Amino acid sequence: MMIHVKNREVVVPGQLVAEGDYRYSEGTFREKDKIYSAVVGLADVKGDQIRVIPLQGRYMPHVGDLVVGVVIDSHKSGWILDLNSPYSGNLFVSELVHRKVDLDQEDISQYLGMGDVVLASVKEVSERMRVLLETMDRGMGQIKGGKMVEISPAKVPRVLGRKGSMLKVIEERTGCTLAVGQNGRIIIWGDNPQQVNLAVEAVLMIEREAHTSGLTDRVSLMLEKEKSGGI
Amino acid sequence: MYEIISSVKRDYIIDLVKQGKRSDGRALDQLRDATIEMGVLKTANGSAKVKLGKTHVLVGVKLMHAEPFPDTPDSGVLIVNAELLPMASPTFEPGPPRVEAIEVARVVDRGIRESEAIDLDKLGIKSGEDVWSVFVDIDVLDHDGGLIDAAALAAIAALTNAKPPAEEDWKLPEFPLSKKPVAVTIAKIDDKLVVDPCLDEERVMEARLTITTIDDGSICAMQKGGAGHFTREELQQAYELASAKATEWRAKLG
Amino acid sequence: MDEPEKLIVDGKRLDGRAPEELRPLKIQAGVLERADGSAYVELGNNKVFAAVYGPREMHPRHDQESDKAVLRCRYSMAPFSVDDRKRPGPDRRSMEISKVTKDALEPVLFLELYPRSVIDVFIEVLQADAGTRTAGINAAAVALADAGVPMRDLVTSVAVGKVDDTIVLDLMKEEDQLGQTDMPIAIVPRKKVVTLLQMDGHFTKEEFRQAVDLAFVGCEKIYEAQRQALKEKYAIKEGE
Repeated sequence: MMIHVKNREVVVPGQLVAEGDYRYSEGTFREKDKIYSAVVGLADVKGDQIRVIPLQGRYMPHVGDLVVGVVIDSHKSGWILDLNSPYSGNLFVSELVHRKVDLDQEDISQYLGMGDVVLASVKEVSERMRVLLETMDRGMGQIKGGKMVEISPAKVPRVLGRKGSMLKVIEERTGCTLAVGQNGRIIIWGDNPQQVNLAVEAVLMIEREAHTSGLTDRVSLMLEKEKSGGI
Repeated sequence: MYEIISSVKRDYIIDLVKQGKRSDGRALDQLRDATIEMGVLKTANGSAKVKLGKTHVLVGVKLMHAEPFPDTPDSGVLIVNAELLPMASPTFEPGPPRVEAIEVARVVDRGIRESEAIDLDKLGIKSGEDVWSVFVDIDVLDHDGGLIDAAALAAIAALTNAKPPAEEDWKLPEFPLSKKPVAVTIAKIDDKLVVDPCLDEERVMEARLTITTIDDGSICAMQKGGAGHFTREELQQAYELASAKATEWRAKLG
Repeated sequence: MDEPEKLIVDGKRLDGRAPEELRPLKIQAGVLERADGSAYVELGNNKVFAAVYGPREMHPRHDQESDKAVLRCRYSMAPFSVDDRKRPGPDRRSMEISKVTKDALEPVLFLELYPRSVIDVFIEVLQADAGTRTAGINAAAVALADAGVPMRDLVTSVAVGKVDDTIVLDLMKEEDQLGQTDMPIAIVPRKKVVTLLQMDGHFTKEEFRQAVDLAFVGCEKIYEAQRQALKEKYAIKEGE
């Protein structure tokens, strides 16, 4: 049993990460008794668990993910949402309004139109990647107001931070509220535009430096400086 | 548009290969029967029809006047073109040449050109102004795999019976063909090498390697196709198979 | 063109290289803003860009494959990339190169992870100096990795050939035009298998074997440069 990389080392596709009976997950694959990285990412070694956190890549919908979608098409009983992914999401009207809808009586276009932004979660993903969305939790559904930022989905975990620590820093220091979609889309609500822009800056900084350590402290510092130094 | 091979058929072919057999009863290293008919077109200077199993290819050779390339003022010009006719397969639609047709033409061209089978330097007429151009036009009439092999065979067969135009400007006793390059395709199915794949085998193969050799066994052209891979050993084995089998087909050219 | 009599004199090629020497090589990853992944390669005087978009939704729908992604490749030469201006638009050579490039890259991709989608690879040659398809494949492999497309390994490519009866690595323009044999090859370095092989010219069985062996050795340096390019994108910022 042997690990061939350091924790948080940048690895590339085809790079030998470990040999032996390790549990391997995200970003890796196994050939015989060797585990290799499949992507450009950060090696993550915890005991006997190995994975590679991708530093890039398109969003792949998983059940339970919070996503921010944009309506690109509608049909008789619902809408198709762009998810910044190779796969679009299906939102049926009954999932949006949480009741059975008589399609003969109601015109669903009153609820959502083309271009509307929706906060939803992924209910189901079929083998052929047909994605069903739902809006069960509070705050989900059509989003009004706020500013949307789109970053690489691979960097979303850093925007959240361990146990939400980074998100907390941003919200506290800027006074804004953020809804972070796993698909790389983030909605920011704030009382004044400067606060919102500050939050945007923080998010973009995290995207740029996602592969580094000590990021939470640096973001915190940056926000402090901007708050006191800014006009 | 492309044809889907049913998974039942796919498994059937692969199972057979595992046992060293093929769907048409051939051994893994056995070529299909090739029949070559020469001089079938009156309107061409040379022609040949090749039937390779169910694959059916017709080649016409036309010798025409042309301007030479500026850096070879006394050399003839070779132009090879291929058309996968809509009649040849439900998947061939009329329109501009598909990449499959382009590949057939270019690989056949390389086999003839790189082996220097045609002595182009003997085809000059008036230096810098007029030379003979050799048009080799390949028409695929029926597609059951092995298009490059059949086209290359038909092309050389057509060139061997190319009669010079009855013109003053033709000064040679006969058409200057000095070598007979022959292309043989080797497919890889379930990690085994299979010679001259038919269409069903082409649809399930991992990759193919077409090797064109001349009479002494040396290689003048190669083309790998398909989304699979070959090990170095497989490359050598494929060469052995291709050069041995090329001799069999070459013997039919007379 | 003043044709040189010999292409190898005193064991040195026209540009001073030894037969098994590579031209100067530079590879950078992540050079374009809009593409999901990108790379830039300089090999000798070749200047080649590769961009990857995807996996993304595939249109038209009927071209989709229900259980995996479709890989599409387009190799193209800019009109100003060669001495005699090349007319814009795909020509037969570009179409053939696009096809063999796709076949060279596909074996390493985990296409079954992205059903019904498409991965587009665009290769653009801005300046050509023999070996453009090999430079293009080297760039495309880096661009795919840069885009986050999962891969079993990178794909590395180089051309070998025969010039003045000597087996040489990485043919330059004069060698490509006047030499005896040109054989572009692409390999999966970790698995030591061949995913692209084309050849025109003359090889005996033994010369073919030697040339393939030389290609494998030649690819080692290129492979290292590809991996470095990907790591470098993140390494520089680490020191900030």
